[in-house]
Amino acid sequence: MSVPIHSRPLMVLRLATSATQDIGSTPQGTLTIFPVIGGSFEGERLRGKVLAGGGDWVTAHGDGTVTLDLRVTLETDDEGLIHMTFTGVRDDANHYFRTVPRFETAVPKYAFLNRLVAVGIGEIRPEGPVHLIEEIL
Amino acid sequence: MNTRLLMTMHVKVGTPLNVGAVPHGTRRTAPLGGGTFEGPRLRGTILPGGSADWQLLRSDGVLEMDLRFTLQTGDGALISMRSFGLRHGPPEVMAAIGRGETVDPSTYYFRTMPRFETAHPAYMFLNRLIAVATGDRRPEGPIYTIHEVL
Repeated sequence: MSVPIHSRPLMVLRLATSATQDIGSTPQGTLTIFPVIGGSFEGERLRGKVLAGGGDWVTAHGDGTVTLDLRVTLETDDEGLIHMTFTGVRDDANHYFRTVPRFETAVPKYAFLNRLVAVGIGEIRPEGPVHLIEEIL
Repeated sequence: MNTRLLMTMHVKVGTPLNVGAVPHGTRRTAPLGGGTFEGPRLRGTILPGGSADWQLLRSDGVLEMDLRFTLQTGDGALISMRSFGLRHGPPEVMAAIGRGETVDPSTYYFRTMPRFETAHPAYMFLNRLIAVATGDRRPEGPIYTIHEVL
């Protein structure tokens, strides 16, 4: 018996990045690192800010796709720390930008994050990337 | 979030290897001995050898899965599929699965996030998509219903 896919909003994540570090053409593709210097996240169950110090390792491939590999630390408004990573794919020709976030936290209130899988719908806005992240139920 | 069915996969599980207590939890490796997949755009068989599930039972009771499959389509293309997944639920439900019983899959959480790699022109679309799967752990092996995230 198959279970249909249901999801519900988890958070909207906004990232602020500084000047890129252009590693250049490597055997894996063209690697550009986007240092994360801040940002915010907001959802019904959690909200807070993105701490400086993370980044997104973005590789452009020969087939027109871009893969993402992000790690950041989130700090909730009640001072919980959440380690967040995602991998993802961007295919601008098809307006496709999706990520698969994962979370790790030691804070009991947010332990539900350790137990879920999620999907992010990414958008590039003038003020920076925005990810609409949904929990897969 | 919009999705559409990519395929349904029936997996045959071999005899698991119990690696035991490792620093992060209890590790177990299950070779995947074959199976089939079928969907509107692709169908074929799971190749044994190179297909396995590396499982870690965490201290919080969540089973983490690291699945790798090699798929062969009916027209001969090879597709590498890797999934990360989580499985957890009420203790009595997880115990029933452990005893090899058939359990209603809506009573526990079993979700995976597959990614695909292929060099075959007919299946290049797989390289560009994110997918989500729901799992149903049957005594004979798991059934995954894999949806493309649109």
